Amino acid sequence: MLQRIYATPHVRPRPGVLPTPRAGWYVLVALGLGALALGLWAYTIQLDRGDIVTGMRDPGRGGAAWGLYISLYVYLVGISFAGITVASIARLLKLHVLEPVARIAELLTIASLVAGATAVLADLGRSDRGLASLPALARPSSPFYGTFTLVVAGYLFSSVVAFFVTGRRDAARMVRDGPRALRWFYRLWASGYRFTPEEHARHGRTTFWLAITILPLLVTAHSTLGFIFGIQAGRPGWYSALMAPSFIVLAGASGIGMLILTVVILRRMLGLRIPDASIHWLGSFLWVLCLVYLYFTVVEELTATYAGPALDRHVAHTIVAGPFSRSFAVAIGCLFLGFAIPFVQYLRAKPSVAGLAIAAGLVNIGALVKRLLIVVPSQTHGSYLALEDGRYAPSWIEWAVLAGTIGLVLLIVLVFARIFPLVHGEEPALERDAPLPRDPVRKLVCLGWAATAIALIAVGLTDSFRLWSGTELDPRLPMAPVIFASGVMMLFATAIVYEVLPARRRRPRSPRIVDRARTHAAPRTVLAAALRATERRPIPPPPPPSSPRSQP
Amino acid sequence: MGADRRAFLRGTLALPVLAALPRGAEAAAAPHRRRRWGMAIDLDRCAACNACSVACRQENNIPSYGADPEFHGARPEWMSMLWQEPERPDGLPELLPLPCMHCADPPCVKVCPVGATYKDPDGITMQVWDRCIGCRYCMVACPYSRRSFNWSEPAWTASEQQMLNPDVATRPHGVVEKCTFCHHRVRALSERARLEGREPGDDELQRLPACAAACPAGAITFGDLDDAASKVSAQAASPRAFRLLEHLGTEPSVYYLKKERG
Repeated sequence: MLQRIYATPHVRPRPGVLPTPRAGWYVLVALGLGALALGLWAYTIQLDRGDIVTGMRDPGRGGAAWGLYISLYVYLVGISFAGITVASIARLLKLHVLEPVARIAELLTIASLVAGATAVLADLGRSDRGLASLPALARPSSPFYGTFTLVVAGYLFSSVVAFFVTGRRDAARMVRDGPRALRWFYRLWASGYRFTPEEHARHGRTTFWLAITILPLLVTAHSTLGFIFGIQAGRPGWYSALMAPSFIVLAGASGIGMLILTVVILRRMLGLRIPDASIHWLGSFLWVLCLVYLYFTVVEELTATYAGPALDRHVAHTIVAGPFSRSFAVAIGCLFLGFAIPFVQYLRAKPSVAGLAIAAGLVNIGALVKRLLIVVPSQTHGSYLALEDGRYAPSWIEWAVLAGTIGLVLLIVLVFARIFPLVHGEEPALERDAPLPRDPVRKLVCLGWAATAIALIAVGLTDSFRLWSGTELDPRLPMAPVIFASGVMMLFATAIVYEVLPARRRRPRSPRIVDRARTHAAPRTVLAAALRATERRPIPPPPPPSSPRSQP
Repeated sequence: MGADRRAFLRGTLALPVLAALPRGAEAAAAPHRRRRWGMAIDLDRCAACNACSVACRQENNIPSYGADPEFHGARPEWMSMLWQEPERPDGLPELLPLPCMHCADPPCVKVCPVGATYKDPDGITMQVWDRCIGCRYCMVACPYSRRSFNWSEPAWTASEQQMLNPDVATRPHGVVEKCTFCHHRVRALSERARLEGREPGDDELQRLPACAAACPAGAITFGDLDDAASKVSAQAASPRAFRLLEHLGTEPSVYYLKKERG
């Protein structure tokens, strides 16, 4: 079976661990750099002349206060959805067929979250103050609190933790096989991974619990995005309980789509060993999610138009048949094709990967346009007072910033592909209940660590709510939102503590003989101990010649 | 010696009591009573002359950006006239002078991520320009669209610069601004009254904000809604009174008066 999969024409195993890129890689890197430079240039113009250079204006006076930037932010966070979901579901449901794409998925999550944060910064009128005040003053009563703390701190950080933990084994391999100049990086990442059965069993537990804890965070984070719009009673068209769930579904559809696209392109460009079966699975996810979203759209339009309040009906008409009808046709057409093409491929005996890639691309165009259609019409046409109807068309500055953020995602993925294997190396199946020797110290340290994290979360959140502030506007503790966010981060970092904490030394050391030089060189931190452990680790035997990795 | 010490102790004990006595009396007289500032706009008197919006612009240093079409939708407005089509189904009047509604449950305050906008204890929805990060969430949340963003650094001509009001800070690029019920005037009057050991009277308050002071028809009345004797609370209780978009539950502090609605 494996041989058959690996014998597909796209799959060209190469010697060494890191693939040699083809010309396409350089072209894409050049494109990414160009787009990033364009975006930065456009942003400097915006900083210099003010937000007047965008197409946004005051709502109620002929414009929309939010436009492409917020849509882009919501879209990019939606992309990030796929990575962690695919990785977590593959782990929890033991879908081994998805394992080859898991690391690319996680990488996509991190890259798109970083780009999403830049999109928010581009949107803020005073990004300088945003960076300074949000960590000190963010309020949980604003749905943006979830955006700024949960998404960036919790979601991004937990993705990084999952990425780090699942990559340690390959990093330890790369210490031996990777380019010499990056050995320090691999050693840091491996942080003492030793290929022992205990290490592997511990890893099985961490990945399982990480997957379990990340899924609710994911739903919460994406719901807060939906709530930004869904709980605004003053905006007909937004005020809907369906907003949060439909955000999650559209996030899933666009994210899985982007993952398919990335996997197909990277596989072709770098000759990665990813079987077609993985992409077919993603294709099935894609059509299911697109179908659910189309269903949500029908339900929403029906509710708004059948006997809805006059203004909801007005906004729905504006979208479906009014000035936004062309964008609406594009969005729904793309999403329909995103359902139809993968569904036909699913029915066929031999699905076409190219067809899935085209559908994936269309879904992403559809998702971005649909996000704009969620954000804009309720501002331009959804006023209860007879205020001036607005118009909104993004200016070239906004398009350039969009290109820049996409370029940033592209660069992060492409550069990472050159320094680290994008497909997991061979490893024995991970078991949650693999036998482990008793290790009370590790357990105690981890429990203490997690308890501290939960205490920080409780204190930070309570103080962010200004529960102790009385009539004061500010939280009592300095940087209360940061306390909350670092609690969330610490909680996820428990996985790292559990895995990286070095095992107890069996060999007792004599306390009397103190060699000054050795004392100074002795590891002082957990990390240093881990690094030393990596240096001393036994080199595992080379893989058998039948393994596909060593094929010429 | 012993008597001296006793006298001394008695003296020191009496000092704070003596010091507290006049302060207590002063505190009783000082206007520390909580207010619920509100406004009533009599639409039957309004002649749509726009004096209120011009006066507001002057008083609060609101930039106008000339006639540049690029600034369509980018000119801040705190108080403006809204004309509505007469056949609107919601039965709102044709003409509305629109200041900030200073809602008791304001959607803008709920959504502000940094607390740059907040409810003043006296009921004014305030905006701290220096804290606003410019996310514009309050603007999309406000059902009355009574908030404006500074889409560019305000530019003043030389003559405009001469006319800037020193009592109101100018706002930089990238922050949201809004009507403050001429908070600076309310504060100045309260301070003055406190120094004179009295409460600001309702007659002083009625025409206090710039829009109310400028209205030639006397259509705008300002005052304390909790003060049963005030003109504004009498007008708010009038059968002609109504508030905008009551169904959203924002509890505006601005009342409109109109004989026949719709």
